[in-house]
Amino acid sequence: MRFQNAATDGRAIVYAAIQADPLVERAARLLADAGYPERLLARAAMNGQTLDPDAWRTMFPTLFGPDSDDETRARANAVLAVSLDVAGRGEQVRSQFRGAIVGALTERLLERRVPATAIRRERRILFDGIATEIHPYDVTVEVPGAAEAYDCKWGARGIGADVLNQLDDARRHAVDEGERLTAVLVIFDAGRTCQTRLARQTAPRQGLRMVTLETLDRMAGTAKR
Amino acid sequence: MPPSVDSLLLRAINSLDVLAGTAAPIEDEWQYVRDLVTVWGGALRAVADARVGQVAPPAAEAAIDRLAAEAASVVDPHRAIDWLSTMPAVALLAVGAGSQ
Repeated sequence: MRFQNAATDGRAIVYAAIQADPLVERAARLLADAGYPERLLARAAMNGQTLDPDAWRTMFPTLFGPDSDDETRARANAVLAVSLDVAGRGEQVRSQFRGAIVGALTERLLERRVPATAIRRERRILFDGIATEIHPYDVTVEVPGAAEAYDCKWGARGIGADVLNQLDDARRHAVDEGERLTAVLVIFDAGRTCQTRLARQTAPRQGLRMVTLETLDRMAGTAKR
Repeated sequence: MPPSVDSLLLRAINSLDVLAGTAAPIEDEWQYVRDLVTVWGGALRAVADARVGQVAPPAAEAAIDRLAAEAASVVDPHRAIDWLSTMPAVALLAVGAGSQ
């Protein structure tokens, strides 16, 4: 088993430009330090219709209500500002940014558990005698004997047969080569929604590890907040 | 008199139906949309049943009303599907039910 950079095709060039946008990194860093309520706010505002910050403050009294402290409010306001910046960029662009933010957030959280030098982006995994997968993994942790591959999605609608098959194939091929590969699906969506989506899938999901909005901190090796 | 938690969550359940109607044109996701309405409706109902008559936290009513307005303003069916998975979680948080 070995890792390889993804081909530099048109999709990769466009996506790399989005990943390099400072807004993506700013959002990822804020969300890495956030708790569940702020992350839910980010998902809601980046999915939402209104760009009025006061409307979102009204919808999240836990963060902005009379019982929240200054620190909570400041952190939530920063998350709200970056989320509305993404939301204001139009449907197609916001969709691309949201995906890039989940990948960058995954990277930031993993850096809290493994050396940054072991974390790579947009990599393929090659196995002896097996045709190369078409889609690269968003994030990989390339540690001998304990490799990890992360497929990052903004929402549960990203869970499909192709994704589940690719993760299952990679895990099985690694076992065939006597390697250990942890394949993880990261979904920036509610766990209940992800389980609902998964329930109708017929593709293999034995051994599938899934990280959802409520459990993102597990990637950092820390408890759920 | 402040509203009860169950009355607010029943309003949120109504918003699920509004969003499902907006999402209806996406025929490939019809089953998924129905599943989301069933699962999240059940989750909201379970909390409502467990907290019947309990006074809602301050500002929860305004939050649920604004959430309902946001759900009603969604016109894109894909966005409505995204909101079906997000709105109920926000409603639960607003009434102090966290990530249940």
